[in-house]
Parts: sequence; structure tokens; C-alpha cells
Amino acid sequence: MFDAKNILIKIAYTLDKSARYTKTKAFFFELMENPHSQLRACFDGYMIGLVTLSVFLIIYESKGQFGKMGQLSFAGNFFEKSVVFIFIIEYLLRGWLYSDSRKTILAYHEKVVYLQIPFKLNTILKVIFFEKLAYVRSPLAFIDFLAMLPNYRGWVFLQIFLIFRLIKLLRYSSSIKLFAEVLASKHFELITLAIFMGFLVFISSIAIYLFENSHEGGQVKNIYDAFYWSIVTVSTVGYGDITPKSLGGRLVAISLILSGLGVLSFFTSIIVSAFNDKMHDLRENRTYALLDKHKDFIIICGYGRVGQEVAQQLYKDKQFFVIIDKNKERIFLAKKARFLAIHDDASKNDVLLNAGINRGAAAVLCTVGNDVANVYITLSSRYLNPVIRIIARANRHDNVRKLYQAGATHVIEPFEMAGLLAAEYIGQPVAIEALLGILHEQKQITMDTILVREGSMLEGIALMEIDFAARKLSLIGVISASSSSHRQHRNQYQVEKQHFFFNPERHFQCRKNDILVLLGRDVSIAYFREQVIQSCPKM
Amino acid sequence: MKKIAIFGYNRISHEVMSRLNAQLYQILLIETDLKQTNIALQNGFHVIDIDFRSDDNLRSIGIGTDIDVIFCFLPEDGDNVFLILSARAIDEKLFIITLIQNAASTEKLLTAGANKVIDPYEICGKKIYELIKKPDMTHILDHTVFGRHDLNMAEVEIKAGSDLENRLVCELNLNDSHNLILIGIVDKLLGNELQFAITEKQHQLKVGDILVVMGPTREIKAFKKEVNHV
Repeated sequence: MFDAKNILIKIAYTLDKSARYTKTKAFFFELMENPHSQLRACFDGYMIGLVTLSVFLIIYESKGQFGKMGQLSFAGNFFEKSVVFIFIIEYLLRGWLYSDSRKTILAYHEKVVYLQIPFKLNTILKVIFFEKLAYVRSPLAFIDFLAMLPNYRGWVFLQIFLIFRLIKLLRYSSSIKLFAEVLASKHFELITLAIFMGFLVFISSIAIYLFENSHEGGQVKNIYDAFYWSIVTVSTVGYGDITPKSLGGRLVAISLILSGLGVLSFFTSIIVSAFNDKMHDLRENRTYALLDKHKDFIIICGYGRVGQEVAQQLYKDKQFFVIIDKNKERIFLAKKARFLAIHDDASKNDVLLNAGINRGAAAVLCTVGNDVANVYITLSSRYLNPVIRIIARANRHDNVRKLYQAGATHVIEPFEMAGLLAAEYIGQPVAIEALLGILHEQKQITMDTILVREGSMLEGIALMEIDFAARKLSLIGVISASSSSHRQHRNQYQVEKQHFFFNPERHFQCRKNDILVLLGRDVSIAYFREQVIQSCPKM
Repeated sequence: MKKIAIFGYNRISHEVMSRLNAQLYQILLIETDLKQTNIALQNGFHVIDIDFRSDDNLRSIGIGTDIDVIFCFLPEDGDNVFLILSARAIDEKLFIITLIQNAASTEKLLTAGANKVIDPYEICGKKIYELIKKPDMTHILDHTVFGRHDLNMAEVEIKAGSDLENRLVCELNLNDSHNLILIGIVDKLLGNELQFAITEKQHQLKVGDILVVMGPTREIKAFKKEVNHV
């Protein structure tokens, strides 16, 4: 007995340390449970195919003679067996994923050691048993269980197991989950309604039975007929296969139909309002699902004037992005422009997480008109993702430092920039227009960068050997991470960790990872970049 | 010395006033709102309290006589349009720079007679976009051309009697001789559009052409002197 405890603890520790075990479990979680994974979508599709195929096979091969499984051909039988085998494996895997037994054991072991009480094997096994029992009792696991039952078909009719297996299809679609959630959210109203319905059906069943059964030519033969008639009538379906003949029966029918109308409309309104409440979540889920398919998208927090401008530019550039804003009208505007938008508070962690700050987002833009909100969003984003790029807007100059402290990569001051431009503009309007035109890509000429890749034609070469004039380009300067690899140069500007060499001399040598800043037609720059990339040695 | 009138005190006009060199420009600040006036006074600016709606008031501060530039920084686009119309009616040659709140008003302000419309939100939005798309370059330019370092962009007009007259753009070679990069030329005969130096190598310089150059402030000054023998 003593040994069993030790072995259990040892196994738990070994599993906990084993990277392969954790990896395997993570893989199966991705495959079967993680709602965001592509793998799961494939798995669900595969299972749906399998279920449909197996059901059709049985219907085809049994030729309507249900109940005689022996008539399946050899191949059909083999297929059927393997399908059931796959179902069993799936059932067991889900049970395995449902809870971490090793963690339960370890936690219990630590508690026992800490409190210096004896380790009781029974207690821990009981806990694990109940954990797994919770899985077995969950509705979805129950459906799975029913679907694989026919393997013991000695006592189950074929028709019923086929239906069970079809129900299993629902498990793989997300809409059933949503429907269950809708029903669950209104459970109080639904229970009230069900109780009322129950009474109504009960009373009318008894009443119709009493009136009709004794009446001559009455079609209600027994209490089951009465119940069936009541349900058909109260739901306003009214097949007409059983109709009341007596006066009393007709009165019962009239009152039942009238109250049935009320019940039905009440039920409809409950469901409609529940769906309405869920509609918001539903749309948001769709947004998240769309985001999951993209990589390197941008999160724009705040769809004010600045956010709108950025969104438009990004849209033109075909860069994928998502907008988060608290303001309903702005979200409406964004949706009208067919942008992906989430109506929520961007400073909340779960909103940012759902928007994918850790799943493929390349940058967060804080463009709210309120500096306090910007600082808060910046802080939340930085806390959630230590490496993401955060560009924040500061409306007051005093807040620039706070935003940097909160973790912003860049801070932009719209009013300062506008002031600077206005002041410069009166001195030299042409130069400023030119600069803006170049930067905003309004003219054909743009300024862009080319990276000196390792092993490319640019590495180690002196600038005079590159004929910029022939390429219709003009070199503005070179950005380099270090100044040490370049000789002393006349116009060197240090900007944080980078160095900018303006108008470098002809003998300036390009090192790898230097960045050339070029002015020229976009086509010339693109062509030059293409040449540089092609000159790199192939991986 | 140029005389400038700024209508409306806010963060942008504050920025403009602190950027403009007080030795080169005489600045008048006009503000009627009491709260804004107080802030301006606290920050050490002299404030004139007149109503811009009356032409006489505008004339009284010098529009039509000695004011060269006005900045319309009033908080409402409608007020700015009114001010621009009034000022343009008084002085045809006045240089008018205006702020805009609603992007859709740009056309209206230009029709009213503004020379330059500044949309701070648009500028900010474009800047953020640049930062996303070309982070290294934007970052460097922000700190050099727009920032504290002495790298600058400037325009140099060729006046009569300059050495540069009748020379070809490709002969200038400012990169080596002056440590400047020639971005482009504005040929007044062709309008105010900037012709880029890269595509206009064979352009012959004339009196009245404006060269747009980039470089360290000191070298720009030296070049300006040399061009026009000042």
C-alpha cells in the first residue's frame, strides 16, 4: 500500500517535469478543445465527415431492415468498427484533457507535506474520480457516450443509436453552444413558462379525456391520446387527426388554443430577446474569428479624427486592422466604413487579449482624445505584451513622459506638430509642402529605406560604387545601429541607439544591417530593393 | 520684420508663438474668451481683446496695412471662415493660415481665401501611419529634421545676379561642395509645383527659381549667402 502512494507521486512528478508529456497534451488541446486553433477546425470537419459517412453507410447497407446489424458487408462492418474505435479514443482523450490529475496529486502531496498529515491514497483517488465523473456527466460527453454505444448493440435498437450518432454532429458546430447559452441565459423565464405549460397541458389532457373518452364517437381512446392532442393544440399546430366531438371537449379546445397563443408568443419573445442580447457577443465573436485568421494586424484604440485618418491610410495600404472604441456612434461609423470594430473599453485586459494583442497583433495605437485613457491603454498593452510596438498620442506636452514611462514605443503630439508646421510654414512654405508631400506620398517621389542585407550586393561596398544617379535615386543618409563600424564622419546625428549619417561621403562603406534612406520615384526604389534582395545568397 | 496676427489662443497657437523667433516677427495675439485670455496672460503673452466680426477692428490692428500673415486658430470652423472672408476682403495679399476641426471644411476654407489649411488630426494620423510603415526613417527624421538636431530643410531663392543663374541642375553637385542635398526646384513659370531634382537634371536655373535643400543649418546659411552674395 505504501508503495502505491510512492509510485503515484513519482509518476505525477515525472509527468510534470516531462516536456514531451506537456507538449503532447498541449497538442491534443489544440486539436480538440482550443476554440481559436485552425487544427481544431480541421478536426471538427473530419469528425463531421466521419459521422455522416457512417450513418449513410448503415442506412444504405441495411436496406431499411433496421435491427439486423449482421447484414452489413465485411467492409461496412470494418468501417463501422473503426469509426466506433475512433469515437472511443476521442472520448477518452477528452476525458484526459478535462482535468490535470497529476496537478491534483501534486497539490495534494504538497499540502500533505506542509501540514505533516498522512498521505491517504483513498482521498486523492476519490478526488480524481470525481473530477473525471464531472466529465462523464457533462452533456457533451454524454452525447459522445451515446454515439459510441452500438458497439454493445446487443441491447440497443439501431434506429435510436443512429439518432444519437446524428446528435453528435451538433457537438462539432459552435452554433449549438450558442443556442444552449441563449437558453441558459433565460432559464428563469423558461422555467416559469415550462411550469405554466405543464399545468395547462395537464389540465387540458385530463379534461379532454373526461369529455371525449365517454362521448360517443370520441377519438380520445386513452390518456396518452389526450396528452398528444393537448400538445398539438397548445402549440397551435393542430394536425386534426384527433378532434373533439363533445361540447365540453370543444370548449376545452377553445380555451387551450387561446392560452396556447399566449404561451407561444411569450416563448418566442423570450427567445428573440435572448438572441438580441447575444447578438452583440455574436458579432464580436465573428470579429475575433476573423482576427484569428490574420497575422501582423494593428489594433487601433480610439476611432476619433486621428484614428479615422490612420484607419483610412491602413485601409488604402491593405494592412489589416481592428478598431476598439467605447463610443457607440464611432463604432457605428467604423462599421459603416466596413472596418472591423469592437465596441468596448480598450483599457480592459480581456478586451485587448480578445483583440489578439498576444495573437498576431503587430502594433497598438492609442489614439484616444483623452491622455488619461491613452496612458492607461498603453500601460495595459505593455503589461500584456512586453515587446509589441505601441504608438501613443499625447494631447498635452506634459504627458509625453508619462506615456513613455507607461511603455509607449513612440509618442506623437498632434497639436505640437501642427504648431511646428504652422510656424515653419510662414518662413518656407515650399520646403514644408515638399517635405509633407514626400512623407505623405502625395507626389510620385517618396522617401523610403533599403536595408543592407547580409551577403547582398550592398554589403561592404563604398557608396561611390553604387551609381545612385543612374538609378534615379538620391541618397539622403544612412541609418546605422553602431557608429563604431563606420569611420568618423562629418554629419553624424545620434538618435537614441541609432546613428544617422546625413549626406555621407563617397568612401562611406555599407555594413550589414545599415539602412539607406533614399529619395526617388516609388518604382525606382522598389526596383532597387528587388535587386538588393535578389543579390542575397539563397538560404 | 514680419508682422503676424494670431486669432485664438490654444495649444497650437502657443506652440507657434514659442517657435517663432521674436526678433524676426512681431506677433499680435487676439483672444476674446476670458478663460483662454487668462491662460495666455499666465504664460506671458500679451493679449488683444477685440471682436474679429467687425472689419474696423481688423483694420485697427493693422490688417490691410502692415500685417503680413494671420493665423486663424479659432475653435469653430464657421468663425474661421468668417474671419478669412473678412480679412481677404480687406487685404488681397495677406498670407492666411487656418486650422480646421472638421475635415470636410477644407474646401470651404480654401474657397474663402485661406492659403494653407492645417488639420492637426490628419497630420497626426498620417504620422502614425508613417511610424507603422517606415519606422526607422520616420523616427530619425523626427529627431533630426523636425527635432532638436540642426538638420533642416530650407528654400533658397535665386535672385538677380546670382552665380547660379543659367546653370544646369546636374552641375550644382551640392552634395560634395556644400554638404547639402538638393531635393527639388520650384520654377515660378511652371507654377508652384516642386520639380524633383532627380528627374530634372537638365533644368536650367533662372532668376526667381527656388531651390529646396536639406542639410545642417550652418551649411544652409552659408549656401544662402553664397548664392545671393548677401
